[in-house]
Amino acid sequence: MSKKTAKRHMTAGKIIDTGVTYALLLLVAFVFFFPCLWLILASFSKSGSIYSFDGFFPQEYSLASFQKLFTDTALYNYPRWFLNTLFVASGSCILGTFLVILTAYTMSRFEFKMRKPMMKTTMVLGMFPSFMGMIAVYLLMTQFNLINHLWGLILIYSAGAPMGYLTQKGFFDTIPKAIDEAARMDGATNFQVFTKINLPLSKPIIVYTALSSFTWPWSDFILPKLLLKEKNLYTVAVGLMSLDETEFARFAAGSVFIAVPIVILYFFLVKDMVNGMAAGAVKG
Amino acid sequence: MRQKIKSAATWFSDCSSKVKLSMLIMGSGQFGYGAKGKGLLYFLVEVTVIYYFITRGFGDIAGFFTLGTTKGDAWLGVAGDNSVIMLLMGIFAWIVLVAFLVIYVGNVKDAYAMQKRVEQGKQILTFREELSEFLDKKFYVTVLVLPVIGVFVFNILPIIFMILIAFTNYGGDIVPPELVDWVGFENFSRLLTLTRFAPTFFRILGWNILWAVVSTALNYFVGLGLALLLDKECVKGKAIWRAFPVLAYAIPGFITLLAFKFMFSYGGPINQMITDGGGTAIGFLDLDAKWMARFIGLLVNCWISTPSIMLLATGILSNRDTSLYEAARIDGAGRWKQFQKLTLPFVLFSTMPVLIGQFIGNFNNFGIFYFLRGGLYMDGYFLASDTDLLINWLYNLSIDNNYYCIGAAISLIIFLITSAISLIVYIKSPSYREEDTFQ
Amino acid sequence: MRRRIAVLLMVVLAMQTVAACGSEKETAGGEAGKESASAQTQSSGSSVFTGELEQNVTIRVLENDTAISKGYFDELITAFNEEYAEYGITAVDANMDQYLDLANDGPYGYGPDVLYQANDIIMQYATGKHIYPLPVEQMECYSQIPQTAWAAYQTVVDGTTYTCGVPVNVQAPMLFYRTDLLPEDWESEWDDNENQIPDMVENWTDMYEYSISRHAEDSSRYGYMKSLYDVYFSSGFLFTYGGYVFGDNNTNPEDIGFAAGEAEKGAQVLLQLAGVMNEECIDDTITTNAYSKLADGTYFATMSTPDVYSTFLGELQLAYESEGMSATEAEAAAKENLVMTTLPKLPESGDLTDENAECVDTKAMGGVNGYAVSAYTKAPNACLAFVEFATSYEMVAKRSEMLGIAPAREDAAEAAGGIAQMLYANLENGTTVLMPSVQEVSQIWTPAQTFFTDLAKDAFREEDEKKYTDLPSLKEGLEQVDTQIYDAIFTLK
Repeated sequence: MSKKTAKRHMTAGKIIDTGVTYALLLLVAFVFFFPCLWLILASFSKSGSIYSFDGFFPQEYSLASFQKLFTDTALYNYPRWFLNTLFVASGSCILGTFLVILTAYTMSRFEFKMRKPMMKTTMVLGMFPSFMGMIAVYLLMTQFNLINHLWGLILIYSAGAPMGYLTQKGFFDTIPKAIDEAARMDGATNFQVFTKINLPLSKPIIVYTALSSFTWPWSDFILPKLLLKEKNLYTVAVGLMSLDETEFARFAAGSVFIAVPIVILYFFLVKDMVNGMAAGAVKG
Repeated sequence: MRQKIKSAATWFSDCSSKVKLSMLIMGSGQFGYGAKGKGLLYFLVEVTVIYYFITRGFGDIAGFFTLGTTKGDAWLGVAGDNSVIMLLMGIFAWIVLVAFLVIYVGNVKDAYAMQKRVEQGKQILTFREELSEFLDKKFYVTVLVLPVIGVFVFNILPIIFMILIAFTNYGGDIVPPELVDWVGFENFSRLLTLTRFAPTFFRILGWNILWAVVSTALNYFVGLGLALLLDKECVKGKAIWRAFPVLAYAIPGFITLLAFKFMFSYGGPINQMITDGGGTAIGFLDLDAKWMARFIGLLVNCWISTPSIMLLATGILSNRDTSLYEAARIDGAGRWKQFQKLTLPFVLFSTMPVLIGQFIGNFNNFGIFYFLRGGLYMDGYFLASDTDLLINWLYNLSIDNNYYCIGAAISLIIFLITSAISLIVYIKSPSYREEDTFQ
Repeated sequence: MRRRIAVLLMVVLAMQTVAACGSEKETAGGEAGKESASAQTQSSGSSVFTGELEQNVTIRVLENDTAISKGYFDELITAFNEEYAEYGITAVDANMDQYLDLANDGPYGYGPDVLYQANDIIMQYATGKHIYPLPVEQMECYSQIPQTAWAAYQTVVDGTTYTCGVPVNVQAPMLFYRTDLLPEDWESEWDDNENQIPDMVENWTDMYEYSISRHAEDSSRYGYMKSLYDVYFSSGFLFTYGGYVFGDNNTNPEDIGFAAGEAEKGAQVLLQLAGVMNEECIDDTITTNAYSKLADGTYFATMSTPDVYSTFLGELQLAYESEGMSATEAEAAAKENLVMTTLPKLPESGDLTDENAECVDTKAMGGVNGYAVSAYTKAPNACLAFVEFATSYEMVAKRSEMLGIAPAREDAAEAAGGIAQMLYANLENGTTVLMPSVQEVSQIWTPAQTFFTDLAKDAFREEDEKKYTDLPSLKEGLEQVDTQIYDAIFTLK
């Protein structure tokens, strides 16, 4: 087959294809950006009230709500909430990712008696409406004296994380077992097989896991509301909900700002994800 | 039966005195065989557990049955019993007891194994050797200990608690300091005899299933489509394009939902644009909006859920075997064929568990309609609206109206139905049955 | 939108109420136990109040956010700490959510010692005995506060009446309007009784008429606007014509009275009012937008509670500033033009188009906020001293001055004059109907809210789809609300 003619033949189709692709991308970007844009605009609105909008755009712009967010901390200590949230989310992210990856790996690679029953059990447990158990969690935490402790939250988030191991297990299932066996022949222990061989191959899934175990505590409202009673221990989600009804611009500013770390994190991690893709390609 | 007792008896007489000692004092047998470190560990476990049961464990188990005997009265300075705490700590004591029994059996088996090794003239493993086992052959035990404990305490314990609540009269006026009592199946028989429940239940169940199926499929294919779109070679600046859906991911869900509720409300920007353009305002979410509101719920849920599916699919797509595609292209397979024969089976295989997880998540999706259209009780429904899912109804019953035990009973029924269905689907799924297809 | 958040908060709290736990062994306060035998003889007030102040204790006080942000609370605790320095008693901000649920946190020691909340919430704590009955008759403020306000804090246990809180502040719906939006010729055209008060803020009939004419002049402008959605504000219309929430003075949940008397007339008034608004009255959007829409002149009047006066003022000031006024001019103009007053009167016939109808006072659902002492405190006498201090004339007067609230104390209300006095009078003469203090009140909101939403929607339905066309159909709708509430409360009891 002549490569040249094939290439020429494809160009016309390719241009249309590229055009359609970009049109779709623009549409996707618009759909996802529109509500965010509205929230961003609201946070820059001069008036504190939600309704000082001319159609879609605020009547006047100012940075006042952001300034207020960070300086007027007597009643609503946003910087403090922010640090609390960062602490809880980072802690849960590290611990949770660690536990989930290990659990998923084990479930994917080891054969033991309790394996299938455990898989079925976790599957079934997920079906239980979670808010029904919240009350028990609260009571339990009062008994363990873990109310008003940020790491109490980390404990619960990380303890719950392994329940969501299925996705990660699915990933490990796709890594060929042949490599493991070769390594074991060379005398590596299971621990070494995991750290030296499988871990480097699983960057994309680790990034995914880390990101999702970071964002969950980052945006959760119910659990911190239940376990943190002191205002200076609040996380951002709880704090924002406690804002007075007349503080809409501040609410919007706080909501916009809370998204910043996730977006930054994403830009840092996207490189790893691309690397992970490259690794996947080599392996395949 | 007889056979069993007989074989147990022979087994017992076969045990050396050291093993029998281990049955009384855990670890003593191991100690006798020279495995001092291990023996000490077993002994410590026994001491701790006995200490726990003496100081509070036995009391907690008794409390589990009585659920309290004296009613508290702060005005008279009577401390009283807290039934709910007693139930919870009672369950906790049972779990400790079961865990202890498992360790106990392990202890006896271990001592017996040592006896056999000695009889066969083998060396007893040193403590160090045993420990290193945990990094190799028994690596899975090491890894799973922490997650299993965590899941037991923070997931299974609360679930057992809720299930047991269905058999008590907790709720309404009977909340602590009032004493709660066991009532057996009374809550369930009330559910069956009350004519008001069944119609609401089936109406909501029907919509709930439709919702879960449609929204799961929608989210999944839109997410996968996005990932494939962004994965195309012709797309430049992938990171930037991908950042838009990630924005949706970055804003906490409740804020997004509140923003959407407002956007679709009568005074929101969408209606403002409609009225500015000369139209009449549309009640996207108001009380006559049944299907419109359901449809908007689907779209909003899609907006919230697809970014994470997209990220996941991107990760999974990166694991594709590119040589297969090369081969397919040489064979003249078009893009649709490639997607059908290569991409979809591969992605479906590795995301089947996610799909089930998504289905469960959507089935129990509380936030969407609570935030978008909460606070309405419709005609023809008992304490629910026509967009409410079962979980919203449960919430209305148990939290808004304090029927806690009834809520628990209904959730138990729903739980049994849904878990049976999803378990069957899961067990039949290729990712469960043929785990190593791609290995 | 913000209202949903408030509802969510309430619901999360309610969820915790269910998890509410009785006294735990460690926290129930041993000091209370000793005297329990003698408790029966006392009519009200727990026996823990010996009058002997605990020394060197810190009491955590839960105040509402407005009092903290406006600086009143700081002044209060500073003054108290100075006064009680010799006993070593220090009051501090509890630093907790203003809507926290004592029943949930108190038993484990995570609650405040003294709390300031609304009467319906405080009295739910009383049911579980999470707060102490107070010896109110011995308090200085007792004679100054009307019996209706005390009644909102009373509960009967085994035949004895106990008072569990001290009323401080009366909350009731008020009418907000702008004098600079009145028609130029209002003194000649809109003041039939020539009392120098515009008729449209004196009775709903004229408000209705003015709303129509204002909208006819400019279709983007409206007269009176308020979401019907909100039960606090809408139920008053039913009460005016004989409706009520629970029978026997709001204590008997078996008797639900939304349809009682001629309440359907009130529903008709609401329906007519909805007709002169736009669709925004169906959901809760007006609640959040009222501040700026009144400021930009879209609305002439709306209904809200006195505690948001300063928000209306701030928005109006901003609006004037953007029209080119200087900050001081804008402030002065806003203060002059923004008026908060009691609700206009309703026509006895329940028909706003009937101009010659006899007028009756509009009743409204209100609440009384007050202080209570947690049963889990270690220092009940110090807490009582704090409550006594915080409800003294000086502090209540200062509170009223700094926060613009209406005091429940007669002397402070008189001193404050104006609105505060009117509200006090309304409370005393029964025009303000206090929210029920029984537990079942939490189950009335959603059914009532659904009805009011349906009512508002009906004003915008096509002619042949309308549900509420005459008084009997309205009555039927209200009766349905009653049944729904009754079912919610009793089906599973």
